[in-house]
Amino acid sequence: MAGMARLGNLEREVMEHIWSSTGPVTVREVHEALARERDLAYTTVMTVLDRLAKKSVVRRVRDGRAYRYEAVAGKDQMVADLMREALDGAGSDAHRAAALVRFVDEATPEEAAALREALAGLAPAETSPPSTSRRRAHRG
Amino acid sequence: MTPVVLGALALLLAGPAPVLLARRAWPTRVPRAAIVLWQALALSAVLAALGAGLALGMDVLFRPQRGAVEIIVHSLVTALTCVVAVRLVWAWAKVAIRTRSRRRRHRALVDLLARPDRELARGDLTVPGIRILAEQTPFAYCLPGVRDSRVVVSSGALDQLDSDELAAVLTHELAHLRARHDLVLEAFIALREAFPRFVRSRTTLEQSRLLIEMLADDAARRRVGAPPVARALVTLAATSAPTGGLAAGGHGTLARVRRMAEPAGSHRLLAAATYLAAAALVVVPTVTIAIPWLNRLADLLP
Repeated sequence: MAGMARLGNLEREVMEHIWSSTGPVTVREVHEALARERDLAYTTVMTVLDRLAKKSVVRRVRDGRAYRYEAVAGKDQMVADLMREALDGAGSDAHRAAALVRFVDEATPEEAAALREALAGLAPAETSPPSTSRRRAHRG
Repeated sequence: MTPVVLGALALLLAGPAPVLLARRAWPTRVPRAAIVLWQALALSAVLAALGAGLALGMDVLFRPQRGAVEIIVHSLVTALTCVVAVRLVWAWAKVAIRTRSRRRRHRALVDLLARPDRELARGDLTVPGIRILAEQTPFAYCLPGVRDSRVVVSSGALDQLDSDELAAVLTHELAHLRARHDLVLEAFIALREAFPRFVRSRTTLEQSRLLIEMLADDAARRRVGAPPVARALVTLAATSAPTGGLAAGGHGTLARVRRMAEPAGSHRLLAAATYLAAAALVVVPTVTIAIPWLNRLADLLP
């Protein structure tokens, strides 16, 4: 399991490198960038890129005799897509309801007003929130 | 007589019974027992429907005079019943496969795009597989799995929730993951998929979804008390989202928030009665209708 976790971390690092590159990259370029401060086999990088291609997050483009790799979309775009899938999924499409379970569905503006009203009606009857709870500082 | 009784029972359990049960308020006081009752209702309806088909198809065996047409018609009814049964199993398998492949894909992306966070393991609340997605919209959800489950929280949610509210959200999600609530939903989704559009209704799936959320809310309430759970619900539901696709879940959310205002009693008697009703729904038709019919069938055998 430790090996899998390490591979997962490596996949993330390789993706970060690809996202920050200006164009498609070769295995050698990724290896050189990542192997600077640690011992990393060339074949491991190859395996990782292969896995990423299988997950359809990078695609291979032919460049002469070698292959280059590029991300299928920018990181922000992929985060936005992921979020859309997560937020749309639960309510409207029953098929996705069991794939992921959301804490709560989005409310329409009218529903949101009703929710706030319900919360306001709840508050006086309850004791004030514990003093230990405080707003979390912005996390970067 | 048997096919008529079973058919009427199936119609009753599939049509009016869910509508009537959905209108009642008491199931939300005992969500766990109520979920079992909805499962029993669905199981009993399916068994009655299949039983009616089989009884009608086999009816020809009990008649002394059998014409060729009768035998063909009854064989067709039996075959049709078998098709319905196979369709049900097939729908379940399809939903299970589709759900898992969608989840696997989503999890792979989450692992690439979100950062794992060990900071959130504080106090006695440890959340294995937590991932923080850098996104201002506050949201939280979980991806169930046997060993590779994930709890995904957006950085926007971390900013907007105080520590008790966040603990409420995480405890809620962990309750889903531990009890594998997704499997309950999966069965109800399969049931919906298996039947033609005009006979199925959303009531059963919607009600069980809501009860499952309430069950997880109760787990959160036991840890942090009701007010943080209610506040977290409103914060994460009532933030204007840029996605456009608004889910029709606000009604259920209101019920969940209002429920947090009620005292969290144990309602042991109500729960026991509900479990009893669930058991009766499955056992009584089996003992009073199905077993006598099977005995009569057995008598025919040489």
